[in-house]
Amino acid sequence: MSGLKPGEVNLGTSIMAVEFAHGVIIGADSRTTTGSYIANRVTDKLTEVHDTIYCCRSGSAADTQAVADIVHYYLQMYSVQNGKPTVPLAASLFQELCYQNKDNLSAGIIVGGWDKENGGSVWNIPLGGSLHRQPFAIGGSGSTYIYGYCDATYRDGMNQEECIEFVKNSLALAMSRDGSSGGVIRMAIITEKGVERIFVPGDKLPVHWEG
Amino acid sequence: MSIMEYNGGAVVAMVGKNCVAIACDKRLGVQAMTISTEFPKTFQATPKTYIGLPGLATDVQTLAEKFRFKVNMYKLKEEREIEPRTLAHLVSSTLYERRFGPWFVEPVVAGLDKENRPFICSTDLIGCINFAKDFVVSGTTSNQLYGMCESLWEPDLEPEDLFETISQSLMNAVDRDCLSGWGAQVTIITPDQVITRTLKSRQD
Repeated sequence: MSGLKPGEVNLGTSIMAVEFAHGVIIGADSRTTTGSYIANRVTDKLTEVHDTIYCCRSGSAADTQAVADIVHYYLQMYSVQNGKPTVPLAASLFQELCYQNKDNLSAGIIVGGWDKENGGSVWNIPLGGSLHRQPFAIGGSGSTYIYGYCDATYRDGMNQEECIEFVKNSLALAMSRDGSSGGVIRMAIITEKGVERIFVPGDKLPVHWEG
Repeated sequence: MSIMEYNGGAVVAMVGKNCVAIACDKRLGVQAMTISTEFPKTFQATPKTYIGLPGLATDVQTLAEKFRFKVNMYKLKEEREIEPRTLAHLVSSTLYERRFGPWFVEPVVAGLDKENRPFICSTDLIGCINFAKDFVVSGTTSNQLYGMCESLWEPDLEPEDLFETISQSLMNAVDRDCLSGWGAQVTIITPDQVITRTLKSRQD
């Protein structure tokens, strides 16, 4: 597995996705770094691959953009020939690319979306290209700081508002501790009705202990 | 991985009308991880002179203590406070002493001399002094600080205006550096008083 090459742009990152009754909530910070310089402080790391299927990108910006573009293309083709794709199908495509090219990629991707057969589902694809369906998933360099918080706070059967608060608080904590994460929080609520985007600017981030 | 970028940090100093200002961030990190948000990098040398020490945190602490010792000894022997220009040379020699195994800090000195004339300078990690008339910058955010200071600084700013200018320069520069920030501290030195203020800033 490769790391970032010198000069390559890094999506340091904190990303997250949570499944709830009617769909999924996905969220991400907005920082892109080149070394210690913040190249983009308002990045959109939530990328559409189909109408109600999104991915959260972490790792190399170039690698994840390229992979997401390819999956987007495959899903366009699939939907023309076979109708709406399912989320596990999209996740499977991501997995194939990430696993078969593991030596050349630095990409940690979380796929989240809604489809008729499964309702909402979250699929975590960490660095080696394994695939894990989880009730909620966290990823990126900032996620290491919030494993304990997420395990302690997550409950089954949360409603939409509770999930949004869960994602917002978790990402705010990660952004506070991780130098490679920061900026604003972007979230998307994906349900049968489509995608609703939420934007939390830097001055509205939840504030925790900052001793 | 550069040793100067292990802990992160930023310091800037500016000259105003009969006053100087020195400011620093408050982050202590271990590469990408933030450990503390209460690690300011400016230290008082005399009532009218401050030293800023960005760089490797262990050397920041050690040199702050060494300079405190040297300044106290100077005062005992000379029976007067050390002048800012003299302190700058003291900093320079202390660093050059370690020419081939240097302290990993790039200090900034700011103060008023005995005639209350403003003085600022910075040095590199082996003691080369840069005497500036306008502003000096140091730390992992130095490039961003150069841009901000070059645009915002103008000569003969009054203390209140200098405070605004140096604060905006520091805050906006560190917002483009992932190794600095998490709080900021600004000290304004005038002939009558020294005021240190803590700024509310982004915690990311």
